[in-house]
Order: sequence, then structure tokens, then C-alpha cells
Amino acid sequence: MSLIQIKDLNKHFNVLNRREGLGGAFLDLFSGDYNIVRAVDGVSFDIEAGEMIGYIGPNGAGKSTTIKMMTGILKPSSGAILVNGFPPHANRIRQAQIMGVVFGQRTQLWWDLPVIESFKILKDIYRVDQKTFDDHMGLFNELVGLKQLYKQQVRTLSLGQRMLCDITASFLHNPQVVFLDEPTIGLDISVKAKMRTVIKELNQTRNTTIILTTHDLGDVEALCRRIIIIDKGKVLFDGDVKKVNALFGAYRTLKVQVNDFDESTLKALAGQMIQHFGTNNGISISEVEKHWTDITIDQARTPLADVLSFVMTNFPVHDVRIVEISMENVVQKVYDGALS
Amino acid sequence: MKKYFAIIRGAFMVGMVYRLGFIFTILGNLVYLGVAYYLWTSIYETTNVMRGLTFNEAFLYIALGSAVFILLKTYSDWWISREIIDGNIIIDLIKPIDYQLMTLFTNLGFVLTNLIAITIPTALMLVLVFNVTIPYGAGTLLFPFSLIMAFVISYCFDYFTGLLAFYTESTWGLSITKDTIILVFSGALVPLQFFPEGMQKVLMVLPFQTMYHTPLMLFTRPDQPWEALAGMLLVQCGWALGLILLTRLFYLQAIKVLRISGG
Repeated sequence: MSLIQIKDLNKHFNVLNRREGLGGAFLDLFSGDYNIVRAVDGVSFDIEAGEMIGYIGPNGAGKSTTIKMMTGILKPSSGAILVNGFPPHANRIRQAQIMGVVFGQRTQLWWDLPVIESFKILKDIYRVDQKTFDDHMGLFNELVGLKQLYKQQVRTLSLGQRMLCDITASFLHNPQVVFLDEPTIGLDISVKAKMRTVIKELNQTRNTTIILTTHDLGDVEALCRRIIIIDKGKVLFDGDVKKVNALFGAYRTLKVQVNDFDESTLKALAGQMIQHFGTNNGISISEVEKHWTDITIDQARTPLADVLSFVMTNFPVHDVRIVEISMENVVQKVYDGALS
Repeated sequence: MKKYFAIIRGAFMVGMVYRLGFIFTILGNLVYLGVAYYLWTSIYETTNVMRGLTFNEAFLYIALGSAVFILLKTYSDWWISREIIDGNIIIDLIKPIDYQLMTLFTNLGFVLTNLIAITIPTALMLVLVFNVTIPYGAGTLLFPFSLIMAFVISYCFDYFTGLLAFYTESTWGLSITKDTIILVFSGALVPLQFFPEGMQKVLMVLPFQTMYHTPLMLFTRPDQPWEALAGMLLVQCGWALGLILLTRLFYLQAIKVLRISGG
């Protein structure tokens, strides 16, 4: 039996249609005009014990809502959800014992107390015995040098340090499944790398199932074998991360700023590109903000370097940036049938 | 039980972090007691006994009332409502722990901080500065237990007010109103004996008086017949139990707002 079974899961919210202005606010007191928001709309998937899943999608896709249902905080509108054989919302307290959660935007540590005190309190709340506790803290000390933070007040920790502590806390009671909701948000590269090492290590040594929600495709690439892409409450893709990787890895966006830019420059650029690289060149051009033009390139078809040198020699380029493909672009590509 | 002890311990330590605040609370209380002392001295200028209370009993009642008020003042309605409004309540909901008991024991931790840092110094001042004589009797022995019940009842009101945030999204006005009602109706500000007869009858059937009037009367008039003492204590226990159950039911109703319409 799979550890997590989700079948045709729905979560609909009734949101009041708010009117504008003071009078509108008054009328809203008596309003029965609701909009139904389908935050999660017919989602189904199974997750096996020990899997590491990347659960991704743009803002408002329904990721956090799904996680809140899996942790028993929210009750599904309809559909079935079983974690370790039980519906999470029916017995929240028992289910909480087998789960760990990190919400990147919040902390479960006691803000005013030294770090070690939070761990001690959690040790008692989750009824962790002394030996397991010592082993766990020892492991984290080895991995990220946690000991030097023990005596610091949580409020004085940097974002990266706090996140490492939160991750330590979520694994403390050896849960069967850990939900990591945006654990790397706002972190710099070196802390991110540390975080990934820790997560990977725990997944391998303890066979902990990990469900990772993130905006950073790099996290998914580094950690997960399976990826589930969700948008507008629906699953767009569920499968091997390699398949998606081939796609994301190949795409780069070249942002160029051109002096004296106008509509005709853009047209000229597009035209000359087709002339130079052929029609099936894997290049798409769009102006996203004033004076900046995005050129998205499929490197499998046209090398980035060629496009760059072509643009540099033919146009009065002022500034250039190269960015990895964004979450929104990935979702767009999936909609366009890139994975089917 | 160990997990709840850990919560009390944690809250106690958090309370102790803000040690500077205690000094101001103690100073403020001293000023209040000074004012109350002169006010009640002038009230008792022409008579020794008023409404069945001597000056010493009345002043002890008022002074102890303010000490108990500060003891029970943990602002739990404020932090519970804030937690609900900013969504941090989900951090508590992912833990294998009952929400009502968790907040109750957190509150107990804060009360213990108050006890050590504020109430005991105030009580000492009362004896040393204002030279109050403390009576002894059967009621004195029941006082600590009655105080614990008062804590539970006070917590229930805070908890209820805090949970209203699920519906109102702001509880500032509600908290202030609750504090005022309790202060007046419980007999914390003025002993209930000083209220008009008819109002006394109404107030005695409401739960508020069990928070202050009951423990304070046990302490200031400890030599009452044991039937009277036991009766007061029984009513208090009844309210404590009833309010715990009522707020528990209210929680189950209020949490639906989150579980159904989202956080």
C-alpha cells in the first residue's frame, strides 16, 4: 500500500465578492454573493514510502492547500486522502506524530528562547527518547555544525540558520513523511547547497518520504526523482524529473536591452533571426518590460552563444542578462504540450 | 502529561525573558495600591464596618484583587487571536497536541512567571508597606485551590475571546470589553458587597464573581462556616468545568472556519 493515497481530491473555497468603497463594504455585511474558488480541483496521485517528490507550480496553484489537507489542517471538500492508511483530518493528533512540516515563511521554534530549548520542548511534545534525540542532534551537528547555535535566541538567527534549525526540528521525531513548503525561499546559494545535502542524507539514511514544494527548479533537479506539476488546482504532469529536466535544462532566456528601442526593432530582430537561424530555430521573442526583450532559446536546436553573438553584432545592445527558465515559463511549456 | 509540562516550562522561560516589564508592573501596582489605600481610608473615616466589611478586610480585598488581576493577566486572548489572524496557528495544528490544552498550559507558564516576578513581591509589599493584618482560618487553606480554579475560568474567557478572531478578524475591542466587564462584574475593582442589592443577586449567578469574589472572600473572611466556604468553592468548580466544556465546543465550531474556508 502506498504511504500517501490521494484520489480525486477537491478543495473549494467560498470567497465573498467584495464591493468597492465604503458603501460597498457596508453592503457586503449582508451579501450572499460568493465566488467558488477551486483551489484544488480533482487531484489524484500516490506516493510510496521513501520517495522524494518535487511538488511544484506557480503562485496560487494549490500546492499549499494540498499540503494543508495532507497534514490534516484543512478538510477536503470531496475526494479521498489517506496518509499511512488514515484520513489526516479525522485524527489530527495521531497523524501529526508521523509527520514533520516546514513552512518556509513561518517557524515552529520558540522565538524568544535559545535554539536548544525549542528542541527540548519538541522532544517532549513528540515523546522522543533521549538516545534518539542525542543521535539526531549529533547527526545535525555533524552535517551543519548546529551546536554553535544552541545558545542563540531564535530571533537573532539569520534566515538560513533558522531554516536549518526548522528542518532539524521537523525531522526530530523520525516522521514517516516530511513536508517541506518552500524551505529554500530567500536563501543564498551556499546555504541552499547545505540544505540540499541535509535533506538528501535524511531521505537516504532514514527512508523518510519527502514532499518538497518550491519555486526553485534547482532544488527539484538536485533532490527529486519524481516531479508533480500543478497549476490552477489541476495536475499537469506527474512523472520522471529527467523528462522535465531535459526540457528545462535546454531552455535559457536571454534578456537584452537595446538602445533606441521601438516596435520596429522587435520586428526587425524577429525577422533577421528567422533569416539567420531558419524557421524551426527554437527561438521565441517577446518584450516583457520597457526596453528589455526576452529571447527564449531551446539550446537543443540553437546554441545560446550563437544567438548572443548574432544579437551583439547586429543591434545596438546596451545590456545583457541570461536567466534560467522560470516556473511560469515551465508551466506555459507544459500547457503547450512540451511533455506530452 | 510530560508534553504539557514541557509547554509550561517553555512559556515560563519566555515570560522570564521580559524581566524589565516586571519592574514597571510592580511599580505601577504600588502606585495603584497607594491610591486605593487613601481612597478606602477616607471611605472608612466615619465608620469601622461598612456592608459587613472592616477597613482591613476591604483594603486586603482590593489589594489582593489587584495582585490576582495581574497574576491572571497573561494576554492570552491577544496572542491567540493574533495567531489566528496571521495564520501561525497552523504551526500548533501540525503538532500532536490538543489546542485547548496547549494554550491552557502555555498560559499557566506565564501565570507562574507573574506569580514569582510580580504577585509575590506585591504580597510582601502589602504586608511590609501597608501593614495589613492577614487573617487565618479554613478559608486560607482553600484559597490556593480556589485561585487555580479562578485561573481556569479566567483562561476560558481569554480563550473564548481569542477564538472569536476566527469570525471577526480583529479582537481589539472585544478584548477591552471583556477586561472591563470582568473587572467590574467580578468584584475585582470594588467588593461585590458594595453593589446595590438587586445587582448583587444578578452578579452572583453569573460566572464572573467566581474569578475574584470567591478566592478573595475565602482569603479575607476565612473564618466563615465550612458550608458557606464549600458552597462557594463548589459553584466555582462547576463554572470552571462548564466553561472548559463550552469553550471546547466553541473551538470545534470555530475551527471549521479555518478547515472549511481555508487559512
